[in-house]
Amino acid sequence: MNETRSSSRPRTLDPGNLDPLARWLAQAIEAEHVEITRADLLSGGAVQENWRIDASIRGGPRNGTHALVLRTDAVARLPMSLDRPREFACIKAAHRAGVLVAEPIAECADKHVIGAPFAVQRLLSGTAQARRITRDPKLAAFGPALAREIGGQLARIHAIRPPNDTLAFLPLPEPDAVVTAITEMRRALDKASEPRPALEFVLSWLMAHKPAPRPVALVHGDFRTGNYLVEDGHLTGILDWEFCHWGDPREDLGWFSARCWRFGNDALAAGGIATRADLLDGYNAMADAAIAEDELAFWEILGAARWATIALLQGQRFLSGGERSLELALTGLMPAEMEFDALEAIAALESGRPIP
Amino acid sequence: MTARRLDADALLDLATEMLRAEVLPALSAEQRYAGAMIANALEIARRGLSEEVEAAEWALLDGLYEEGEGSTAQLARDIRAGTLPEGKARGLADSLRTLLIAELRVRNPRFLASRGVGG
Repeated sequence: MNETRSSSRPRTLDPGNLDPLARWLAQAIEAEHVEITRADLLSGGAVQENWRIDASIRGGPRNGTHALVLRTDAVARLPMSLDRPREFACIKAAHRAGVLVAEPIAECADKHVIGAPFAVQRLLSGTAQARRITRDPKLAAFGPALAREIGGQLARIHAIRPPNDTLAFLPLPEPDAVVTAITEMRRALDKASEPRPALEFVLSWLMAHKPAPRPVALVHGDFRTGNYLVEDGHLTGILDWEFCHWGDPREDLGWFSARCWRFGNDALAAGGIATRADLLDGYNAMADAAIAEDELAFWEILGAARWATIALLQGQRFLSGGERSLELALTGLMPAEMEFDALEAIAALESGRPIP
Repeated sequence: MTARRLDADALLDLATEMLRAEVLPALSAEQRYAGAMIANALEIARRGLSEEVEAAEWALLDGLYEEGEGSTAQLARDIRAGTLPEGKARGLADSLRTLLIAELRVRNPRFLASRGVGG
């Protein structure tokens, strides 16, 4: 996550006025004094802001120089995303479970420190840039092992099960994860000004082909290439926990392998880095219940429908939410792509062929 | 491309060509993302001038509803409610696919090419 980029979106943190943040951080981590020597907006995150913060810390348990990430609440959140304190609680639960996630350091619910609630974590090394990872000339050498590492981490996340006192705010899916997801998507479609009959068709198909549910587990909700860090071909951390929820563990695997998240490497179904078999090898070696490859098709189609719905909502933020962002407007044109992929996958399944 | 008329299509084409050839290469790495989005938006707008999507929508609706009736909003509601007559629902996936292809010719022809659908 070393890339920085300019943005026309409104910012919360003001790099010209870092003293309030430094004072708050000193108190939060029991230091005598904190000086912030760098604050750069990181790329990624159409929903929230991520800042790289370098802090020189004197006194207390974290005495020394630290590279940190500060993550703020966005000006406008998607309806299904968690606010910063809740996302932070999920990250802490994952960290306790031994998941590769940036160490959670402190959180601030007070809007007045930098203009929005935020959380601070240790900065991890590596790149999250999907195109950099999927176009790495060494991908063929490290991709399968990376996918197995990712599968193993997913199994670790899914080992977190309800009830969980620190995650009591997360609702349990009712009656199951598929119905919950489809209800949520239909609600979003009802709010959109543009009718999407193809997406309705896909949702009706999903409802009619719903598999028997698996035991409810913690689901990351946005685990795809672009949301994990890679360094020297190895996984260094899992990012973006704001869509975390109780659900069906296969949601994460289907999202990871959905055709829309392969970044041009269409034949490498697992996130454009390896095969589904590689991903499941790593998963099944760690998970208490194995998942078979042919189970993924349904969840990949569900993933395509979900991304189509989110893209549509992003377009609505421009159309009716008054956010004048070209990025949001262009995202709002994307649902047709995922709908097309979903229809192709359904056609393949119905004629007994494997899905692309 | 040589334009025959100085219409919206020709102007957008010229502006996009100039943006790509002369402006984008001169931008800083930070500004290039915004520049590429602008070029992309101009190209979509230019392709959007064609009436192919509207024609595809009408072709789809005419196959399902009485002439002059029906809308994509109505169709979306009927699909969710499962109220399309059985005979009409049969070829629906193929008809929807045809509509999506028309949309994607405007929105993202490169996506279609990546899925093996020619122009």
